[in-house]
Amino acid sequence: MSEYVNITIDGHDIKAKKGERVLWAALDNDIYIPHLCGIRQEERPNAGCRLCFVEVEGASRPVTSCTKNVEEGMVITTRSERVDRLVKTAFELILSDHNLKCRECPANRSCVLQDIAKKRKIKLRHDRFKSIVREFEIDDSPAEFAFDRSRCVLCGQCIWADREEAKVGAIGFTKRGINRVVTTFKDLPLAESICTQCLLCVEACPVGALYYKKNESDDSNKNSEKNS
Amino acid sequence: MQLIEGEKDQILAIVGEVLKNSPKQREDLIPLLQKVQAKLGYLPALAMEKIADGLNIPAADVYGLATFYNQFRLNPPGKHQVKVCLGTACYMVGGDITLESFERRMEIKEGETSPDRLYSLERVACVGCCTMAPVAVVDEEVEGKVTPTRVDGIMLALQDEEKKNEKELKSNQEEGEDA
Amino acid sequence: MSNFTPAEIYKELLEEAISQGEARKEKTRVLVGTATCGVAAGALKIKEDFLREIESKNLSDDVDVFEVGCIGHCYAEPLAIIAKPGHPAICYGRLDDGLVHRLVEDFLVADDPSYEYAMAALERNDVFPTFEDFPRGIYEKKLILEQCGFIDARDVNSYLAREGYSGLAKALVEKPEWVLEEIKAANLRGRGGAGFPAGLKWEACIKSKGDAIYVICNADEGDPGAFMDRSILESDPHLVIEGMILCAYTVGAQKGYLYIRAEYPRAVTHVQEALEQARMKGLLGNSILGTDFNFDLEIFQGSGAFVCGEATALVNSMEGKMGMPESRPPRLAQKGYRGKPTVLNNVKTFAYVPLIIRNGADWFKETGTPESPGTAVFSLVGKVVNTGLVEVPMGTTLRQLIYDVGDGLPNDREFKAVQIGGPSGGCLPESALDVPIDFDSLQDAGAIMGSGGLVVMDEDDCMVSVARYFLEFTQHESCGKCTFCRLGTKHMLDILTDITKGKGDGDSLALLEELAEDVRDGSLCNLGRTAPNPVLTTLKYFRDEYIAHIEEGRCPALACRDLILYYIEPPKCSKLCNVCVGSCPTEAIFTRDDGLKEIDQEKCVKCDNCLKACPGEYNAVVKISPPVLPPEKVRVAK
Ligand SMILES: Cc1cc2nc3c(=O)[nH]c(=O)nc-3n(C[C@H](O)[C@H](O)[C@H](O)COP(=O)(O)O)c2cc1C
Ligand code: SF4
Ligand code: SF4
Ligand code: FES
Ligand code: FES
Repeated sequence: MSEYVNITIDGHDIKAKKGERVLWAALDNDIYIPHLCGIRQEERPNAGCRLCFVEVEGASRPVTSCTKNVEEGMVITTRSERVDRLVKTAFELILSDHNLKCRECPANRSCVLQDIAKKRKIKLRHDRFKSIVREFEIDDSPAEFAFDRSRCVLCGQCIWADREEAKVGAIGFTKRGINRVVTTFKDLPLAESICTQCLLCVEACPVGALYYKKNESDDSNKNSEKNS
Repeated sequence: MQLIEGEKDQILAIVGEVLKNSPKQREDLIPLLQKVQAKLGYLPALAMEKIADGLNIPAADVYGLATFYNQFRLNPPGKHQVKVCLGTACYMVGGDITLESFERRMEIKEGETSPDRLYSLERVACVGCCTMAPVAVVDEEVEGKVTPTRVDGIMLALQDEEKKNEKELKSNQEEGEDA
Repeated sequence: MSNFTPAEIYKELLEEAISQGEARKEKTRVLVGTATCGVAAGALKIKEDFLREIESKNLSDDVDVFEVGCIGHCYAEPLAIIAKPGHPAICYGRLDDGLVHRLVEDFLVADDPSYEYAMAALERNDVFPTFEDFPRGIYEKKLILEQCGFIDARDVNSYLAREGYSGLAKALVEKPEWVLEEIKAANLRGRGGAGFPAGLKWEACIKSKGDAIYVICNADEGDPGAFMDRSILESDPHLVIEGMILCAYTVGAQKGYLYIRAEYPRAVTHVQEALEQARMKGLLGNSILGTDFNFDLEIFQGSGAFVCGEATALVNSMEGKMGMPESRPPRLAQKGYRGKPTVLNNVKTFAYVPLIIRNGADWFKETGTPESPGTAVFSLVGKVVNTGLVEVPMGTTLRQLIYDVGDGLPNDREFKAVQIGGPSGGCLPESALDVPIDFDSLQDAGAIMGSGGLVVMDEDDCMVSVARYFLEFTQHESCGKCTFCRLGTKHMLDILTDITKGKGDGDSLALLEELAEDVRDGSLCNLGRTAPNPVLTTLKYFRDEYIAHIEEGRCPALACRDLILYYIEPPKCSKLCNVCVGSCPTEAIFTRDDGLKEIDQEKCVKCDNCLKACPGEYNAVVKISPPVLPPEKVRVAK
């Protein structure tokens, strides 16, 4: 049994590792697919952001590439009318619940949302959905970083870093549906929780929700570097 | 929420006992929370913390679970619990009006407990007696055809009961003082 | 293994059960329906009343009082059946203490069955009609509800005596493959919503060859208007248990679970008792009926999240996690509970299994349609005379179900729509009433069989508001994992709310429809994928109602409270009666100098009380939409 399978993405012939998922196979080959919640090592992908849709030949509807395993001979297209429509709606829905003040945001210019908007030519500001951003108190209790939930897109990258890399378990999702948030036990400020302030979650956050505080010994390019 | 004196010991005792009599795998988490809530009426933070310790999982996960499921409450319920049915049949004959009437009379919103901890108000989906719609469950008793006027009646009855209790309490105290 | 064959062991159990039953039959029995529906209507008090009256007449030694489940005639609750030797067993409805007193005095003491209070007899006789003689009896066909309400749910012997567990005894001498073939041949389709063939599901599980296999019964029943699964578990728990044991035997499982929502305490208790009794009888646990087949069942109490009815979310919650759905594949049949192959079926699906094994696949296929054999079970609610549980052959039309079984709409109201399948289902109009009820026809019409909630709506029900109601439910129950469902349903709900408040605009409908389609196509699990159905079907069939709200600020059904006002028509008001004034909870109604009543619109909370209170001979209170008083009606207040 060979280790690799042959697939085609947007007309490019690609050898992908068996068991790999389409999203990563594409990204490895410099083919862009938008994504927020995908984590390569995760055994059962979260599949929550719904941005990574592609067309797979033979499938009746677009599928999320982060959940689709590559198969020999698979033919994939990253764009189609259906895909673009779903991605645009998903993206605009996410933005409707995102505090869109880029100029005030430490992640300005390094934010994955800006990146997706640019690559897929979707406007960050749209008027289809009205903004439903809620007010949250910014948690600036940690020494070096802060957490602004009004910018959080619930991608879960920070929780993965906290659990699987830092192995701490300080943060997690709570509540259900529209009220879902990332938080600590009892909603304590991070500094009062079991958080060790290892900063791995800040590194993981693709937007400006978890960010480095600007302080005197300013190394302000940390924020703009972290997503590169 | 501040725990009243004695509450802390009670919580620790109950959680300890429940944990002692249960297997301690992650998959036992929901049954454990159910047992603790059945005894305490709610899930105090302290209880969640102890259960997390017992199962050796992050307390944040227990908190996540307790806030995810409708069944769990993080605050003690009121002495009188009113659940208004907003199942399909009840909604169609004005269950929402019934709920509003209770909100107006109790001066709290659905999902809340009054500051004096006397009343709490919840909404539920179909309690299984749609023929009596709109339905409310008042202290585990099903009340049918709960129009706003009936809400007034129910609330008056509950308030009367409380007044009586208060009086009794007072007279008991006085008696106690006399003795 | 025992020295006796399963058939021999079963025969002994059966004889014991029958002789217990015979002994009981020599006495008069009063069976009080105490499923949740009955209890809600006061059945436990009725039982106490019976016991008290019987005792006061010194009949305690001659009369036994039992609790039974739900017979499906919920509109006449509380109900009791009296079986007195020498008389046919007779059912009495709408009981109260006075009636109990009479029945005890006249029937139990004096031997007069008081037919004037009887609903129906249970067995054919020369004196009184039976339920089958009801008009609905012609259309109804009870398979899985047959014993509900007639047997003592809390006594395994009561189930055994009516051939209960005979399917198991029959199967255990056959190979598991035989059971599988029978279920496949019967084309038993899953009753939890999607109608997937149970046999194929079981087969897939067998093929995955795990080192352990689990069988789970989905009794989460989250549809806010349905209660069939609960009724079955409360009224005939052994039927479901036998079905699960048969499934376990087929797929080679040793352990199974009943996932019952914690809000169903009676169902939990009844099933718990039933499991214990089945174990005592050697029907569950180790070496079932003397064979080397071991299987045990446990209850898992669901914590009340609608999404946990979804297969992968259900498994996650059983594993102590948030009830979040996972993307599939892998399916449960490959990787389910604890990562092992798992069969998950609905309560009703399991309930058919013992009957099919007992009577054969061909017998099952005699009922229903070729593609959807068997019966459909609904909780019939809303604007229909006979609310309750109904079981009809697949293929029955909606019209028959509503007008013949349900006896039509009360108060001569005009039919407007029927909502099938709960929050995932759709609203169908008059023109769809001749659609036959089966999995595929309903799907084609835009609804789904779904969970079995069936709500009849009349001209007073606003379709926009109904769509909003269901969407509010799904939005509230969305797990929040995926973008479309978490945020998409929220925006849809906001748009709908605006429309019901008269704040919709020209673009609202287009956006709503677009978004509904994207939520349907883009969501991760079927909660999100089906959440738009009530919206899409009402948009399709009742678009004019949406437009009236948006363009005229008018609610045609006079239901949306922001678009109506209450008005007392002076020519109709009697002046002399004060009923409305007293009925108003906010003291908004006052008496004018000329004696007429008038509503202070500022104070009115639109609770509908005065309209209901105003005596029928006047009917002076009316609703007006849009909420502006026509010029001739505007008067200077106070
Ligand atoms: C949101 C949601 C809720 C569901 N709720 C239930 C339920 O309460 N009961 C049920 O049997 N199936 C429910 N289902 C369907 C189950 O996922 C599953 O298909 C079913 O239990 C399989 O059993 P069946 O093949 O016997 O129908 C639900 C599905 C979804 C998406
Ligand atoms: S804080 Fe950042 S990493 Fe964490 S869920 Fe929110 S957006 Fe994702
Ligand atoms: S569709 Fe809704 S319920 Fe299903 S995974 Fe997405 S958010 Fe959760
Ligand atoms: S990356 Fe695939 S759904 Fe988020
Ligand atoms: S909908 Fe309220 S009791 Fe069923």
